[in-house]
Amino acid sequence: MKLITRVTLRLAIVLLPIMIIWGTVFFFYMVKEINDETDDSLEDYAEMLIRRTLVGKELPPPGNGSNNTYSIEPLPDSAGNGATISFKDRRIYIHEKKETEPARELTMTFLDRRNNAYRLVVSTPTFEREDLLRAIFTHLVILYMLLMLTILFVTAFIFHYSMKPLYALLRWFDKYQPGNGTDNMPADHQTQEFRKLTEAARHTIERAESYMERQKQFIGNASHELQTPLAILGTRIEWMIDNTTLTEEQFAELSKMRQSLHRMNRLNRTLLLLSKIENNQFPDRADIDLVEIINNEIGIYSEIYGDSIKCSTKLPEKFIVSMNESLATTMITNLIKNAFLHASEEGTVDISIRKGELVIANNGNEALDATRLFDRFYTSGKKGSTGLGLALVKSIADSYSFKVEYSFKESKHLFKVRF
Amino acid sequence: MRSLKNRSLLNVNEDFKGKLNEEIRFLVILNTGYMKLLIIEDDNSLREIMQRALTTEGYVVETASTFFEAEDKIAGYEYDCIMLDIMLPDGNGLKLLEHIKSLGKNDRVIIISARDSLDDKIEGLNLGADDYLPKPFYMAELSARIKSVLRRGTTAVSNTMNIDNISLDLNSRRVTIAGKEITLLKKEFDILLYFMQRPGHIIDKAVLAEGVWGDHIDMADNFQFVYAQIKNLRKKLTEAGADNNIKAVYGFGYKFCEATE
Repeated sequence: MKLITRVTLRLAIVLLPIMIIWGTVFFFYMVKEINDETDDSLEDYAEMLIRRTLVGKELPPPGNGSNNTYSIEPLPDSAGNGATISFKDRRIYIHEKKETEPARELTMTFLDRRNNAYRLVVSTPTFEREDLLRAIFTHLVILYMLLMLTILFVTAFIFHYSMKPLYALLRWFDKYQPGNGTDNMPADHQTQEFRKLTEAARHTIERAESYMERQKQFIGNASHELQTPLAILGTRIEWMIDNTTLTEEQFAELSKMRQSLHRMNRLNRTLLLLSKIENNQFPDRADIDLVEIINNEIGIYSEIYGDSIKCSTKLPEKFIVSMNESLATTMITNLIKNAFLHASEEGTVDISIRKGELVIANNGNEALDATRLFDRFYTSGKKGSTGLGLALVKSIADSYSFKVEYSFKESKHLFKVRF
Repeated sequence: MRSLKNRSLLNVNEDFKGKLNEEIRFLVILNTGYMKLLIIEDDNSLREIMQRALTTEGYVVETASTFFEAEDKIAGYEYDCIMLDIMLPDGNGLKLLEHIKSLGKNDRVIIISARDSLDDKIEGLNLGADDYLPKPFYMAELSARIKSVLRRGTTAVSNTMNIDNISLDLNSRRVTIAGKEITLLKKEFDILLYFMQRPGHIIDKAVLAEGVWGDHIDMADNFQFVYAQIKNLRKKLTEAGADNNIKAVYGFGYKFCEATE
């Protein structure tokens, strides 16, 4: 869930009950005020009627257009011993309208000069009040809802606006790839927190890149520095083999040393090549026909493996890819070598190019660990394998943004390169 | 003592220079070994073993360990071939190469570099180097490169290669043994050429496979294809009565030497 959604949602959850409570309190306060007003006007009316009765003035006719009704009736003596006043909500029948309406009714007792008690009942219909309250209620609800929506909208807008630097930073992170550097990193210098965050991110990335750079340099330098001692060792062993009289045992030992050294040389050379690919030291490109390279390699490996491995191809006339020639050869060679090397006895190797995709397949028994297959020094335990071949393929493909995939289908290891 | 003797012989050779045509000169040089080499390499151990190995092969070998020492020697003497390490402590070897060429010298130059970098290679070859050999290398390989570079210097014989009664024509890829032409398959020819460039060296089969089939042949567990080719080649050489042949050495490698050895 996005932060902005979460904040808005939480705000809504908190605001809704508060708004409801506010609204309710306000509504009931309004109801009370309106009732008080009604009661006041009833009291005024009642007072006017009593005054008129006491001074013997004519009372207004019952239906005087105000919808107010009243009645005065004398009470037995025993009942009237003081002025009482009470309000009541009830439904009354209004003659003019000929229907029953809710009304507010005031009942009062009063004494005249001769101490005769009377009861005065005054009522006023409350449908206006009901209408008013209904209108207030509707408007209250609408207004409070609008208020809440406005608050949420404004909050979301301001929040989004304020968080712009963060989103810019996050977008930058999405696009970031190791080695890109921090040059285009968005920076906000106005907000303290974002400034700190940007600084921390920049710092972390710069440190990571410098570690990576140093590691790359270390591998490159180490391989370089090893070249001369390896040359010395090799040359000296060779000199002993060529120029001194050795017993058969000594010769065998030296030969084995030389073979190990040869392997070490190859490993070192491959590491150098890897570090050079990673440092983009193969900038020149040309239009390379992969079909030509493939056919050439198949020729070599068919010669080496003879009839024990059957190789079939489905290749177009030409397949031109723009890349460095020696890297193209290295990539194709390693894939084909890998296929021949790991095809079992009496096995098959199938090579095809279709829809811009090179597929090299060899038969096998079980799927390999696809997550580690392209790692350096991951080997299947086959003798003579450096464990760098597929790492090299991956590294070359990455440098040209080609996709290399491994899958295992129908007892076949499939290596796909999408150009 | 040895170097003095070589130097006087070299002078004799200098006298001949004018009289002999280039082919004879090359053959004399190749067979007697009075070629003068300069090794410019800052690593003492490597320099020493290179000198020892190349002296054993019959060359007169001088060495320099620094840029200035090398500059001195180049200015003062003529060399047939200079092996130049381009990473020197007191200067870039490529500068030295430029210097050699600016002096208008004909010295052949083979760059030896721990930086197996394409840029260096291209720059070096552009500056007039004759070959580029990345470290680590085998002496047999260096020796073959030196021979090949020296051969290129003598244009008249650049197309044929002779050892005793075996003669290879590199252009037409024809093989003549004791005056009679024999037919070799493509790989058989390549193998024979490889051995003839490295006579007397014991060649590991993995190195041979890489040299003939390409760098990426590194299947240590399968050399059946090498055995088969060599077996056929040896048979053809024996049948034709070649003086030299490929000899298996304890099963670890091969050596090109006299057939009777």
